[in-house]
Amino acid sequence: MKADDLISTLRLKLFAGADGLGKSVTGGYTSDLLSDVMGHASEGSVWITVQTHPNVVAIASLKDIAAVIIARDEVPPQETIEKSNGEGIPLLGSSLNSFELSGLIYKMLE
Amino acid sequence: MESFRADLHIHSLLSPCASLDMTPQAIVTSALERGLQMIAVTDHNTTLHCELTVAIGREAGLPVLRGVEVTSSEEVHSLVILPDGDARVKFQQWLEDHYIRIPYDPLIFGFQPVIDRDENIITEIEHYLTSSINASLDDIGKMAHCCGGLFLPAHIDRPSFSITSQLGFMPEDLEADAVEITGKEINTGFAAVKNSDAHYPDQIGRRYTTYSLEEPTFEELALALGNKNGRHIISVTP
Repeated sequence: MKADDLISTLRLKLFAGADGLGKSVTGGYTSDLLSDVMGHASEGSVWITVQTHPNVVAIASLKDIAAVIIARDEVPPQETIEKSNGEGIPLLGSSLNSFELSGLIYKMLE
Repeated sequence: MESFRADLHIHSLLSPCASLDMTPQAIVTSALERGLQMIAVTDHNTTLHCELTVAIGREAGLPVLRGVEVTSSEEVHSLVILPDGDARVKFQQWLEDHYIRIPYDPLIFGFQPVIDRDENIITEIEHYLTSSINASLDDIGKMAHCCGGLFLPAHIDRPSFSITSQLGFMPEDLEADAVEITGKEINTGFAAVKNSDAHYPDQIGRRYTTYSLEEPTFEELALALGNKNGRHIISVTP
């Protein structure tokens, strides 16, 4: 499954980072604590969070995250969008909450 | 130049998590007993006990600075220290414009009373003060500076409500005047200070910073954090 497939199946918004949409999604991680993601998320994961700080993109890049989904209609600030475009990490959005997104994506990955 | 011991992170009873013994009078008395020469009162997301504490401190000969510990939308805590009463009013108004007013149960989270000089309750804040306000860490720093204040991310080495826990690392464009640490000194590129984060009277001064200043004032503190005009941080304790 590619990041692109998440957009079409879950009807996600694409905020930024379209260059990275071809990456394979091999797992997922749901957390709003960036120190937790830094320590525990695996490469190729889709990361579900309500955090929108620019550091999200830096940590996604460090951990080779396939895509970030901003849950529950949170809107990332301009700086986060620019960083996401710069790093080529898809920054996606959904009106679903983190629990709902996690459940749906878990099923897609099974 | 003289050395001054200062503890710039003290909660009054207005903070829901602080002891009801933390009246402005008790804070000033305890700070003097512990040999502190300047303090700041920093409740969660409110400055409403600053003026009373400043007044009591003035009579007792203890300089008290007006401060607040703000919770950002990222759930990072930062100290804002304000230069004077006008700046405090302006910052308080901005806080009130950015509150997310979630009703809460004081029996679970703790009481939030605003008291007067005679320790009568004037009012109780009806929304939970410690929760995040509708402003980012960056917004809070900008507003602090807009009011002429100082912006210090709090307890950055703690595993909760800190820059490190919430954001993983120091944002590269962080415009802090200093950072507050609780343990070992770490190299962040910012001046590092220690404060007690006292919630109980016997915690006041358990950590403090010694500054080299002409006099214990906000202006001199600002110079010391910037290591300017001979003012500087001498040491942090413990």
